[in-house]
Amino acid sequence: MAGRPAGRRPWQLLAGTAVLAAFAALAVAAPLAGSPLRPDLTRGLTPTGLPVGPSARYPLGTDLLGRDELARLAYGVRVSLTVAIASNIASIAIGAAVGLVAGFFRGPAEQVLMRLTDVGLALPYTLAGLVIAAIMPAGLTRVIVIITALFWSYPARLVYGEVLRLRRRGFVEAGEAMGASGLAVVRRHLLPQVTSLMLAYSPLNAASAVAFEATLSYLNAGINPPAPSLGNMISDGQAAITYRPLLVIAPGLAVMALTLAFLLVGEGMKTRDPDARRLSWLGR
Amino acid sequence: MARAMMRRLVFGLIAVTGVAVLAFLLEFVVPGDPARAIAPRAQSAAVLANIRAQLHLNQPLVVQFASYFGNLLHGDLGMSYVQRQPVAALIGPRLADTGALALAGVLAEVLIGGTLGVLAARHDRVRAAVGAVNLVLLAVPVFVLGLVLLLVFGYQLGLAPVAGGAGPAQIVLPALTLGLIGAPWYAQIVADQVQEALASNWVRTAVGKGLRDGYILRRHVLRNVLSPVLTMAGMDLGSYLSGVVTVEVVFVWPGIGLLAYNALQNLDRPVVMGTVIVGAVAVVAFNLLADLARMLADPRAREEA
Repeated sequence: MAGRPAGRRPWQLLAGTAVLAAFAALAVAAPLAGSPLRPDLTRGLTPTGLPVGPSARYPLGTDLLGRDELARLAYGVRVSLTVAIASNIASIAIGAAVGLVAGFFRGPAEQVLMRLTDVGLALPYTLAGLVIAAIMPAGLTRVIVIITALFWSYPARLVYGEVLRLRRRGFVEAGEAMGASGLAVVRRHLLPQVTSLMLAYSPLNAASAVAFEATLSYLNAGINPPAPSLGNMISDGQAAITYRPLLVIAPGLAVMALTLAFLLVGEGMKTRDPDARRLSWLGR
Repeated sequence: MARAMMRRLVFGLIAVTGVAVLAFLLEFVVPGDPARAIAPRAQSAAVLANIRAQLHLNQPLVVQFASYFGNLLHGDLGMSYVQRQPVAALIGPRLADTGALALAGVLAEVLIGGTLGVLAARHDRVRAAVGAVNLVLLAVPVFVLGLVLLLVFGYQLGLAPVAGGAGPAQIVLPALTLGLIGAPWYAQIVADQVQEALASNWVRTAVGKGLRDGYILRRHVLRNVLSPVLTMAGMDLGSYLSGVVTVEVVFVWPGIGLLAYNALQNLDRPVVMGTVIVGAVAVVAFNLLADLARMLADPRAREEA
């Protein structure tokens, strides 16, 4: 780009965004790949009933029921991206609200909210996810609810710490001394800072959400068959692992590439934004 | 220090009680009738009513809660609907297998992560490479890594058993999976701490005094690394003990995680509740132990407390 000094954009940001864009294109174009649900009993299975390997008709072959693996992958990526976006927004919004209220208003609200946050941080994710899954019908909503319910506590902790730090800074004290109401101080002075912190955190959160969606669906606790999701495709493909490992490897690589892309975007933002340097993927 | 530990113990007990209450309430949120779960093919209403009376399900909620809690205090977690055995008897033997896997996993992650971390701290080039490895390991979901290891070492190379079960040969791959997944965290912390210690005044003083490198590393560098690693290892041990569900499912390791997973598929609520409560106790207990170990290893932590 003209005028922009070379090397200003970290390669991680570019690489991550490129991979995400490719996956987004795949997700949008999913219907072009064909039906993810209809088995092709004539050309999708060998005469002995086994899945067929990659061919011009089926670039990734078919799954055990003779369904187009590429179409299923594309629809699975759709699920992953939807979950990443929806649960990311929901968990960060809840977490930021909790952290802001607890950090700014202190008192009993702080005690209750932060103890709740501690409990949330201490929960064993997978087991807790399974338990919530037991009380909800399978589907996209269930996955988003589970991930949001388990993922809000970390951003809450982050925002809480940030607010406590900011409170002691001159501009917040000055605002209060000038007689600004609590709400005004939160909106004018705290929210902008908290927003930039949360923007930097969101790719890391999204990476965890993609991986966790796959885990839930793998354990039958997320998107259940026949609807495709990267996790349940891996679980289905496991039965064919000895003779058609591609059925495990293709969705496995997709989960990995998606997660890695989000992590790279996070790393890239970290090197750009000095505020975000404190953040790290170690948070999770 | 004793007071700080007492405080944490009380908080821990409150947390466990909270989980137990949640687990009890869950029974009433989960759709489905326990009597139906026990006798799926029972035709007469009398049979179902009988089962409900046997389980005290016809009593008021408060009475049920009191007896559930009383039993809990006696270590009685109730009866499994599906397996017709006391839940405690189902969990007991599996706790040992999960414990073995948790211990092996933590050992693997400390070894792998610690090695990567020390290497990264000493050479800048290695640090970049370790960073890349870390990022990839972070991006792999546990079960994908497990399946890949199973595919390569089990099916392709035939070096590891693929059949499942608990044993010294079966533990290698699941422990390695846990180790690789956990390693980035340790690598990062160890690298940071070692680098910080190497740049510190006390290490410079020690070098100036003419102490031997090995001694400085042991006495002044690793001692500083030990404290955060101990904390993390203790917490990991607790959370793995609460059931490494995914790894146990992938490798069919007969631990608490697999038990909980199967119980959820079968709507066997007492077993689910039991595993959740035992898991919460494990998490709390090991967080306490990790704190204690850190205080013993690190005088600064004693002062904080």
